[in-house]
Amino acid sequence: MADGSATRVQDFIGDPVSDKPAVPRAKLEQIFRDIQEDMRYDHELNGCLNCGICTATCPAAHYYDFSPREIVQLLWTENLEGIYDAMQEKIWSCAQCYTCAARCPFKNSPGGLVMLMREVAIKHQMQSAKDVLRPFSRVMLKLVSTGNQLAPDMINPSHFADWGPNISKVEAPLKVLRKAIPMATLNTTETAWEVNLKTSVELYTIWEMTGVLDQLEGIDENLFDVITDIMDEKRADWKDFLEEQEDNDD
Amino acid sequence: MTDPKTPGNGERFTGHGSEWTPANLSASDAQVATQWVEQRIDKRSMLTNKDRVEDVRDVMWQLEKEGQIKVHRIRDEHEPVEVKTLYGWTKRIPTNQLWHHKSCGQCGNIPGYPVSLLWLMNKMDIRYLDETDQTSCTAWNYHGSGIGNIESLAAVFLRNFHQAYVAAKAQGLPEGYYYPLVHCGTSFGNYKEVRGYLLHSAKLRESVTKILGKLGRLVDGKLLIPEEVVHYSEWVHVMRHRIRNMQTIDASGVRATIHPACHVYKMVPEDAIYDDSVLEGNRVAVSTGVIQALGANVIDYKTWYDCCGFGFRHIISEREFTRSFAIDRKIRVAVEEAKSDVMIGHDTGCITTLDKNQWISKAGGEGKAVELPVMADVQFAALVCGADPYKIVQTHWHASPIETLLEKLGIDWQAKKVEFEAYVKGLQSGSAAEQLYDPRLRLTSGPGFKPIKREVIPPPPSA
Repeated sequence: MADGSATRVQDFIGDPVSDKPAVPRAKLEQIFRDIQEDMRYDHELNGCLNCGICTATCPAAHYYDFSPREIVQLLWTENLEGIYDAMQEKIWSCAQCYTCAARCPFKNSPGGLVMLMREVAIKHQMQSAKDVLRPFSRVMLKLVSTGNQLAPDMINPSHFADWGPNISKVEAPLKVLRKAIPMATLNTTETAWEVNLKTSVELYTIWEMTGVLDQLEGIDENLFDVITDIMDEKRADWKDFLEEQEDNDD
Repeated sequence: MTDPKTPGNGERFTGHGSEWTPANLSASDAQVATQWVEQRIDKRSMLTNKDRVEDVRDVMWQLEKEGQIKVHRIRDEHEPVEVKTLYGWTKRIPTNQLWHHKSCGQCGNIPGYPVSLLWLMNKMDIRYLDETDQTSCTAWNYHGSGIGNIESLAAVFLRNFHQAYVAAKAQGLPEGYYYPLVHCGTSFGNYKEVRGYLLHSAKLRESVTKILGKLGRLVDGKLLIPEEVVHYSEWVHVMRHRIRNMQTIDASGVRATIHPACHVYKMVPEDAIYDDSVLEGNRVAVSTGVIQALGANVIDYKTWYDCCGFGFRHIISEREFTRSFAIDRKIRVAVEEAKSDVMIGHDTGCITTLDKNQWISKAGGEGKAVELPVMADVQFAALVCGADPYKIVQTHWHASPIETLLEKLGIDWQAKKVEFEAYVKGLQSGSAAEQLYDPRLRLTSGPGFKPIKREVIPPPPSA
């Protein structure tokens, strides 16, 4: 990797007149090893004849400089520089539809391989991953703190101007419209459904024990701070509830 | 060599090359050749023409036999119906005593989707539980961002399905009474994929056993794996004839296009339902089956196989892709080629994407705008069974012109909307809201929970 004095372009492509590699070989090898060591790797990659069925049917290939065939080839041929390069931008084009996987005669899953590469991009705290994911932080905040990924209060005209004026065709405050849904769990605005306090607390344990919070901290420290505050608060509420129960039992 | 493109030289440009000559096959040989082509191309060979396909349930039963896992079984009391999947394997779909595993996108954005499902279940006296103790599958975020990993996805899957297994105890009923019914297509695909990895990897089982143990969510010290992962559209599919028996509105004048969801049938494709009586078994049967059973005309279109453009991350931060794909590859084709009156789907992200991304097509200039009502199969089914288009089907959350479909079905939506607006006004002034079930049942533990016997089932609100 270029040192701190390098420009952003040099960070990506290195110095064209220097023999020094843009990214040290050891780092490229580590990144590839991390991808390859995932238990899913051998399931998702079985060989490739370059037939291109995956790319022919890929929605992202219609609109981006992205080809699932290329991703498979880079991994299959262990092209470490190419893999690193694809992880800067291309892997984020994939729409994760798995059409490629359904169609590949070799039973490869280019979409699945892209996920492994995305995870490793996050593990290595690549700046490109941070940039790409910044607009997605609302979803991550909602998910990690509540277990819901989308909530009614996220759908409003200011966030989705291109959806037009018909976000709701009946005029009333959101809270009232949600009350008019005849499922009691859905009478909420900040979460898609009412989430049991115990559920959230259990989910936090999963995040901690599986390293998800570490991923989040590496990619967006501010978001991590906000989320851990929410977690602390809910855990305190749960503790209070349990103590209250014990007092009642006594 | 002659130029095949030059007129007057006796050759036509066939694309086969100038050396091409007719085979002049006998009729029987031609039939053999045609059969080969049909088998390879017309049928679902793009999905089935592979080696190394295994039925992961064989692994599951073996692990249970060895005492390594516990299987949440579909029992007779769940009234299962058998269907055939891609390779002709049998899958059992439970139809009663169901635990609703909700979808965050449906509940947050298109609430008429789950409400229609519960409304139909009430009409059929299906016992179910809709409770607060569940997380989403977390897979939308995972596929969008890469935050998460196989362990976190597996732990979330096992936690939620364990809760489905024990939830009935809060009502004085035995464990395993309810069987989980997954609403979201992404959850359905993700859970099946994760189940496969769990069954194959002792290492993964070992690591998540520690997590589930800490949460107190093991059964006899073992991981609980569901016999089947079941999507709501599969329930709708096997119940389609019973739904048809409740139909009050004729749908024969409706031309419907189907958008099959990628994570429902392309992810773990061997588990998707195919039925020879539905488009000759060439397409995934869910949605098409019920729409045909209800008498509507299912119209094929050339981009049926394409995704919707949701893209997980794209619908939030690459919207140019999402809306371009939704408009040009799906909606425009359905409108201009299939002359469709409605596009029917069976997944959260697809319905959202296809429904919300039409208005922006006006930006294309005069004559470029396209509009098409978009809804889920179960919403359409509820509508033709007489469900209120606002109170139950909650069509006001849809951005697409649902009203044109309602008119086609002969539903006076303007009158219904006036009624609903009065109902909403009443709620604003403090009137009690109608509910599909006793709201107290939603709590099975934690703050506010009080045990309630399950026998208390209020009648559904009038349509």
